[in-house]
Amino acid sequence: MSTASAGAGAVRAQVPSGAPPDLRDAAAKAGRSDRAKSEARLGWLLAGPAFVVMLSVTLYPIIQAFFDSLYHYRLTAPDDKRWAGLSNYAVVLTDPIFWQALGVTLFITVITVVCELILGFALALVMHGAIKSLRGLLRTAILVPYGIITVVSAFAWFYAFDINSGFINHWFAWVPGISEDLNWFASQGTSLVVIIMSEIWKTTPFISLLLLAGLSQVPTELEEAAEVDGATWWQRLTRVVLPNMKAAIMVAVLFRTLDAFRIFDNVFIMTNGANGTEVLSLLTYRTSIGRLEIGLGSALSVLLFLCVILICWIAIKLFKVDLAGGARGAS
Amino acid sequence: MRRRSRALALVVGLAVVAPLAACAGEGSGTPKLIWYINPDDGGQAAIAKECTEQAGGAYKLEVSVLPRDASAQREQLARRLAAADSSIDIMSLDPPFIPEMAEPGFLAPVPDDVAERVSKDVVAGALAGATWNDKLVTVPFWANTQLLWYRKSVAAAAGLDPSKTPVTWDQIMTAAKDQDKYLAVQGTKAESLTVWINALVASAGGQIIENPEAPADEITLGLDSPAGEAAATIIGTIGKENLGGPGLPTEDEGASLSVFQGDKGSFMVNWPFVWSATKAGVEDGTFPQALLDDFGWALYPQVTADQESAPPYGGINLGIGAYSKHVDLAFQAAECIVTPEHQATYFATNGNPPSNTTAYDDPAVKEAFPMADVIRESLELAAPRPQTPYYNEVSTGLQQTWHPPSSVNPGTTPKESTDLITAVLRGEQLL
Amino acid sequence: MRQLSTRAKWGWGLITVFVITYALFPVVSIFATSFKLPSQLNLGTFWPKTWSTTNYEQILAPDGSAQTLFLSSLRNSVGICLIATGIAVVLATLAAYAIARLDFPGKRVVLLTALGVSIFPVISIVTPLFNLWRQIGLYDTWLGLIIPYLSLTLPISIWTLAAFFRQIPWELEQAAQVDGATTWQAFRKAIIPLAAPGVFTTALIAFFIAWNDFVYGISLTSTDRARPVPAALAFFTGASQFEEPTGAISAAAIVVTIPVVILVLLFQRQIVSGLTQGAVKG
Repeated sequence: MSTASAGAGAVRAQVPSGAPPDLRDAAAKAGRSDRAKSEARLGWLLAGPAFVVMLSVTLYPIIQAFFDSLYHYRLTAPDDKRWAGLSNYAVVLTDPIFWQALGVTLFITVITVVCELILGFALALVMHGAIKSLRGLLRTAILVPYGIITVVSAFAWFYAFDINSGFINHWFAWVPGISEDLNWFASQGTSLVVIIMSEIWKTTPFISLLLLAGLSQVPTELEEAAEVDGATWWQRLTRVVLPNMKAAIMVAVLFRTLDAFRIFDNVFIMTNGANGTEVLSLLTYRTSIGRLEIGLGSALSVLLFLCVILICWIAIKLFKVDLAGGARGAS
Repeated sequence: MRRRSRALALVVGLAVVAPLAACAGEGSGTPKLIWYINPDDGGQAAIAKECTEQAGGAYKLEVSVLPRDASAQREQLARRLAAADSSIDIMSLDPPFIPEMAEPGFLAPVPDDVAERVSKDVVAGALAGATWNDKLVTVPFWANTQLLWYRKSVAAAAGLDPSKTPVTWDQIMTAAKDQDKYLAVQGTKAESLTVWINALVASAGGQIIENPEAPADEITLGLDSPAGEAAATIIGTIGKENLGGPGLPTEDEGASLSVFQGDKGSFMVNWPFVWSATKAGVEDGTFPQALLDDFGWALYPQVTADQESAPPYGGINLGIGAYSKHVDLAFQAAECIVTPEHQATYFATNGNPPSNTTAYDDPAVKEAFPMADVIRESLELAAPRPQTPYYNEVSTGLQQTWHPPSSVNPGTTPKESTDLITAVLRGEQLL
Repeated sequence: MRQLSTRAKWGWGLITVFVITYALFPVVSIFATSFKLPSQLNLGTFWPKTWSTTNYEQILAPDGSAQTLFLSSLRNSVGICLIATGIAVVLATLAAYAIARLDFPGKRVVLLTALGVSIFPVISIVTPLFNLWRQIGLYDTWLGLIIPYLSLTLPISIWTLAAFFRQIPWELEQAAQVDGATTWQAFRKAIIPLAAPGVFTTALIAFFIAWNDFVYGISLTSTDRARPVPAALAFFTGASQFEEPTGAISAAAIVVTIPVVILVLLFQRQIVSGLTQGAVKG
């Protein structure tokens, strides 16, 4: 069951779910047990198809990827498929290109998530507190980036900064470090700046909506009480609001981290990995789809998958992110 | 309750399956041939239409567009052919990728009589590009080559006349520096960079791969040589001394043209499309006629004064899919596509030069491209990129190590790229 | 509602202007680019010097060079995304009903699977899918994209709908059952009308996600048969294959963005509530 199984196990272990189901069943009366049985059957009949579909579109491919990763297999030389053991992994893990891509991916992930958290929180506060007449307008504006295709966003930012077709250099030529001759996509730092900006622009609405959900759960009485006590806006924010939505923030961060970690579209469109901007997803894509090296590409796929599991594990074990928080309402 | 839930499950099942059945097949009748084309200005589609009409019901030729980027075109086709896709009848192939397709038998063998007819009057470079293991494996269609384009005003100020005496890279680099102008070359990390490297290495008398027909782990590179060093010196100097301007590391063919058209334009190496593109700009009023009048052209610059240059060779050949259901008809259609008349019209309308020498005598060609004769001459001199089934690895490896141009160092870069490409071909490293 | 001071009014006005600039600037920028003449793309101005519809003609007019490419990809995108959304919503509605309404062992596993699938690195499953699809003939077909799109649309649909369903007053259903209706009838008559808005919102969100996909689109297709819009954008070309297709891409980008903006304008309230309710709550 892939990510979910690991996630499920980890989360279940820590979330107290009351008495074990079998004990509950034993305690139940015979009639109720019958009813429970039929309810369980109906439950699985209804939820089963979705469950099976979800598993088959992820679990099967990742297992297949693991098998493929054990072979030397190139699609344009199909007769040359041979057993490789773990040597594909050895090639990947000893290659600086892999580590460089991992580093860039992590860098982009950390920067975007931190910026988005701050910006997204500000937007959530705006949406939360906006006066009625403006609320619709603000929400609409904030939702536009959410609905836009990432590739379109990438092109929009790319064309704006491009040394030939762009206008940013003309507008900001007065800023130290920016001039008509600045080629944003010619070096690692500046390329990453634009890639990160596009990524932040596109996904901040999502994180701000997650935070808005948390914000709306902060009990208003607490805030009002603090206001009566003469707490400043900042004090109310840091002492009342933030502690009360810690869980929401953690979940938002974890979700966005995992999402940012698979960044592909923006890099593909803007630099296609030039100037040390290659990320793991792009490296995997280029190896398996571009070079048709299925063996090596599958090894990269599996490693990428393991990275995601690792991030989940760190979040759940070390930061105690309660992923099942939403599930609690159900049980 | 149980029955109800079963019914529910059935409904679910139907809802999943029903829309999937909607993909219906095609009716029969006139065989439909699909021609995978590289993007152009509609020229190939027009030819397809004409050939369909001429065939009188024998076949119906339809085009399907491939991506813009050469390596992405290869990617799409190789993927489909590896899937033994029978819907690929004719493909517009970039010559360097032909061996990779020919080697595993993805291309239908060219019948001898067809081979004889389609090789007649074809320039040497195009014929070489259409061949693998001494056999013609594709039908030559159009052949491209880069020229040296120069602003007559700048060249005159620098005391050069490339149309009379061939110029060297050193000369145009010095001229650009002295005149405070930019050289327009392709420094972006893409196939165009490989084109530039290959032309420089070949012009210096070397070759990127010594034994292109060898298996992957036995391929020897010829980069770590005086020719490789000469190429690295030129690219590195242009990069380090900012002779290409700030746009160089992201400059593709189109961007080179805008540099050349701008105030700082001086010399440019580029394909003939620059002429038709600038002419269109003059017609819609963006550029003054004076700009077009200032355009000069000559053969590709030389690396050394005593050795003729080896200009880049490009273009498109037609491959016939080995899994096509109508191989015979596909060859018939391919022969129709590449007639000298079609090639001439295609050149005049889309700016892609013919591979057939007789097409150059067409008056429409002369009118649209006054430099047609230079193009033809350049094609005779042109050097193809390495013809190996591992071309993608070689090209990407070059792009990884020779980019950005300012990082290229004659002492280290050729060796670095040799090591990387060798390791990748042996499966010891990622790319 | 408390009365706003003039200062607060100005403050909100300023904030609104700022937020709108942030949200719309890149859109306006590509909008402006889409009206530039191909030869004037590199003038470095924000607005076009001459407003021209050349780029739109290229992608929409019958003789435009990118017309078949763009329109067929638009058709594919709309079709594939609608079907993928439809299937996902049907499956998710049933699953979410079960989750919100019934007590059955493994309920949490279903929810966590959805969670796991939604954070799955897409690129990891592209290689095996590509390899499998080309063997069983699903490569470059609608179905070949619909199936993987379910991995994008199903999880979020389940979460969003489960959240919606938890807020439905289920007493109505019990009341209907007391009146002699079966579970199914109760569900259909009493609950579906209440659930419909939630289902619609979920469909909208799922559609956005499928519409946004790029990785599957470029990896699992190769012709007009199934290529979706985001992948097609990478295929555009200028007058020759060496010229930048900036104008055509911008025009196509605007065409595919307009429906998004309209949907957002019409349904912003529902989308926000859908996303915030479906969001994992602390």
